[in-house]
Amino acid sequence: MKRSMLVLTSLCAALGSAPVFAADPAWPSATELMKRMDQNLTAQTRKMRLVMTVEGRRTRTFEMVSYGRGEEDAAMEYLAPAREKGTRMLKLGNELWIYMPAVDRLQKISGHMLREGMMGSDVSYEDLLSSRELLSRYQASITGEDTVDGRPCWKLELKAKDDSVTYAKRVSCVDKETFIPLKQDLYAVSGMLLKTWTMSDVKSFDGGRQYPTKMTVRDHVKKDSITKIEFKELEFGIDTPKEIFSLRWLERR
Amino acid sequence: MMSTTLRLAARNATRRRSRTLLTAGMVVFGVAMLLVAMSWIRGVADQMRERSAAVGGHVRVVTKGYAAREDLAPLYENIADVEALGAVLRRQSGVVAVEPRITTGVTVTVGEEIGDVFAQVVGASEVYFRERMGAKDELVAGHWFTGAADEVIAGEKVVEQTGAKPGDELVLLGMTQDGTLSPIKAKLVGVVSAGDGGLGQQLLIPLPRVQYLADLEGGATELLVYAADHEDAPALARQLKALPALEGYDVQAWEDREPWKTLSASIRGMEAVVVLVFVVLAALGIWNTMMMSVLERTHEIGVLRAMGLSRRGTVGLFVGEALAIAIGGGLLGVALGAYPSWLLETKGVYIGSEGVAAGFSQTMRGDLSWSSVLLVFGLGLLMALLGSLIPAIRAANIQPVSAMRSGR
Repeated sequence: MKRSMLVLTSLCAALGSAPVFAADPAWPSATELMKRMDQNLTAQTRKMRLVMTVEGRRTRTFEMVSYGRGEEDAAMEYLAPAREKGTRMLKLGNELWIYMPAVDRLQKISGHMLREGMMGSDVSYEDLLSSRELLSRYQASITGEDTVDGRPCWKLELKAKDDSVTYAKRVSCVDKETFIPLKQDLYAVSGMLLKTWTMSDVKSFDGGRQYPTKMTVRDHVKKDSITKIEFKELEFGIDTPKEIFSLRWLERR
Repeated sequence: MMSTTLRLAARNATRRRSRTLLTAGMVVFGVAMLLVAMSWIRGVADQMRERSAAVGGHVRVVTKGYAAREDLAPLYENIADVEALGAVLRRQSGVVAVEPRITTGVTVTVGEEIGDVFAQVVGASEVYFRERMGAKDELVAGHWFTGAADEVIAGEKVVEQTGAKPGDELVLLGMTQDGTLSPIKAKLVGVVSAGDGGLGQQLLIPLPRVQYLADLEGGATELLVYAADHEDAPALARQLKALPALEGYDVQAWEDREPWKTLSASIRGMEAVVVLVFVVLAALGIWNTMMMSVLERTHEIGVLRAMGLSRRGTVGLFVGEALAIAIGGGLLGVALGAYPSWLLETKGVYIGSEGVAAGFSQTMRGDLSWSSVLLVFGLGLLMALLGSLIPAIRAANIQPVSAMRSGR
């Protein structure tokens, strides 16, 4: 029975009309899973201090503080290394401004450039500065069960509802207890595997929110590179001063 | 008998003056045009060869990864310590200079808003810019480097597109070797004309500043090695390839690298086509007049053959006549072709900066050399030989009795 339901689910998914229902009465629905993931990973306002280590031909470490507002708005300031210290980024909608203190100039980035690796890392500007809900953008189906680092998880396949979504398909292993995607494979429209994203060291926050404090991202298009992110401080639902999300903040000395 | 044949050949050449002049005219035209064309092609090729070797290094040392992705000029494929490797190279016999170089793309801004004017940054020593690129000779505004760290000399096109003028501060936005946005400020001190090999779209910046821009302290993407003469490059490349310190690096003489490798074959092909066209055209003209001569002198040939002139002698008679005309025509052709060739060499042809591809100069010059003169004169004789051979064989096959009966 379970197998036939799985086959039916996969078949429907392949036909582009994947129903959002569980393959087993004991399983949660895919919609429920996405809702729980969104509740964990998105927040109306947030502040983070993070350390990003890019391991490739050379290992480079960056420390940043980031503020987020809604799905698309974010501001970030580099604290280290010395070469990047004081660099600020402001993302409002689909536009990003970078302030470079070395030359006291603003650089605007938009369009596909937002999908380029930030500071030569495996993480794009969009990956790190957006906080987009999955539920409104993807159709999902649970395709089975698995374990990641010994933790049981649901295998969830998400397909983008339209072509504008950066990753056309995601295959995630969602922790059965915390509802954090412990491992995600992110695919392009062509079916090419673009990135593998893992999350670990999940901690509990106010309101029952679970959030990973460590992440690794591997961009499969780049060779021999991996980016590790560690969140040193995380705050959600805080009052972020409005002036942070302005060009004036970006250029303040 | 031989001297008689030659005497007859010479006499025949003067007997029918109009036909002889026509034949000689073919040779004169062919030789003169060939000399001009050869001088031009060789001169331009030499100019490109010399310039290509000077700008790109007689021998170039890069990582194998850089060589494989050369079109992208990847900064991450670099030689981390150019000082150490450069010192090893300078100790080798035949090496007169070693120049580290970094080439990368940037956007250029003058004023507040970062613009979208693209330029190619060349980071190297002042000596390289002056002696190898010849950029100092192209300076049209401002002054040359004074030694300050933040100076930049820009190509005319960059200046035109940005509206910058000497004294302005430029903001250059590039990338580090890791792909991080990297901005620097630089003071525009001079402007170079847009000619010579894409200089117009380039920014010349002292190496240490570009090393900072690319986050490549102490490194470079290329090491350009120079011998006393660029013709020594293949031997020097072979010598350097054997060095243990260069194991794992790509070491190539300028002539083995693109675009010269392809360009060189194209130039040789072009030279061969030009030679073939002129030789065939002139040979056809000579063949035509010599064939007329054979037909007109059938009776005379019959008499000579009846008097004992052998077939070989008959062939010699006509070929000798053609060669005698070719010697005179060839000398005149060389004299006529030498003047425009000399003008091409000394004055050149100004082609301007528009559409000038890498490796060309604004003024293209010919090269009138003794080797070209001798080659062209020899080709003039070849024209005569080819053009006269078939008519001469035809004359040799004439039967004396039937020829004398023909009455012509």
